[in-house]
Amino acid sequence: MNLMADILINVIIAFLAGSLLLGLHRKIMARVQKRPGPPIIQHLLHSLKFFFKETSFPKTVSMPFYIGIVFILAAVWIVGVIVGPVSKDSLLILFGVYAVYKIVEHNSGSSSGSPYGKASCVRAVLSAATELPLFAAIVLVYLKTGSMNIGNIISYQSANGPLAFSIPLAAIMFFLLLLSKSPYSPFGITKDKALISGFETEHFGFLRGFIMFSESISWYVMLWVFLTLFFGPLTAVGYLIGMIVITFITGFINAVTPILNPNHSVMTQITIGAVCFVGTVLMILI
Amino acid sequence: MLRYLIYLLAFVVGSILGLLYSYKLHGEPYIVDSKLDIKTCIISVVGWNLGLNSSNMIFGGIGFLLAGFVMGERPGYGRKETAIGLAIAIIIYLVLHWIV
Repeated sequence: MNLMADILINVIIAFLAGSLLLGLHRKIMARVQKRPGPPIIQHLLHSLKFFFKETSFPKTVSMPFYIGIVFILAAVWIVGVIVGPVSKDSLLILFGVYAVYKIVEHNSGSSSGSPYGKASCVRAVLSAATELPLFAAIVLVYLKTGSMNIGNIISYQSANGPLAFSIPLAAIMFFLLLLSKSPYSPFGITKDKALISGFETEHFGFLRGFIMFSESISWYVMLWVFLTLFFGPLTAVGYLIGMIVITFITGFINAVTPILNPNHSVMTQITIGAVCFVGTVLMILI
Repeated sequence: MLRYLIYLLAFVVGSILGLLYSYKLHGEPYIVDSKLDIKTCIISVVGWNLGLNSSNMIFGGIGFLLAGFVMGERPGYGRKETAIGLAIAIIIYLVLHWIV
């Protein structure tokens, strides 16, 4: 298939599937909390709705950043789709995508001029602690398979079995990243409800639509990467089941866990990351 | 991948149609509806079976449209019907793929 068509199809799939999964996540949280919850389609409808809402620009914003950062966010996760599901390229590029995402969170908050956005911007720096378990997980996958290329890692797993069974602690570290990125996460300090919507607070209309579009794609990409890295070559049904199961687990955890304060969130992530890293290195050496 | 895109689009369109249809039918405040609606149950069973067990892309798309129609109904409706349709489709899928 033509590469551009392949990219376009994968991006639309990522958006639709990501939106439905985030809708499912919200529904699960609601059911755990004994609320009826919105329909699963609601997240997608909200995303589309924002593209047609009036967009207003607060007087305090730093305009080039305020608008540009939203498009950078969308571009970053589209690159994630291209590197992951489309070309199965290097994990380092995906790590770069996640690093840029953190910068976007930071700048989106600071460019808005809102005190909520600024507080979220500061917390985005702290929440870069989630990158440590991600980086450690990537290093451990490299140590085990000898490659950073996703295609080669899939081949390795088809010959030697899923990495989730040989380096389970690395899988837990990556899962911690998924949990941090999921909505209403105990580690979601940048979107603490004390900060309204955090760095998104002052983004309205089509700008918010782009942010929601990017969030849907990011959820899909991260689930895809996790399943591909740790559960070997999967069929479409395998990916579907895996994504739904992980969404269920994160939804259940987030529904019953209050948000941690920033210090506790960072310390918990670093502690789990360190324990899992040392444990996995010992497992590889022994 | 085009096949999965069509399935997803069909499911989304079906969900939107189901939501609009059920709000037109049930305008009352939220209630837990414990009755089984035979018509939507049949739609759900046919939809999930076509969606999961048909190798034809067009039939699969129609299946997911129907499945989405029932699953996308307003909260409180179409839950049992979806569960029954999905359970039957999964059983048939397992029988076709693992036992036969």
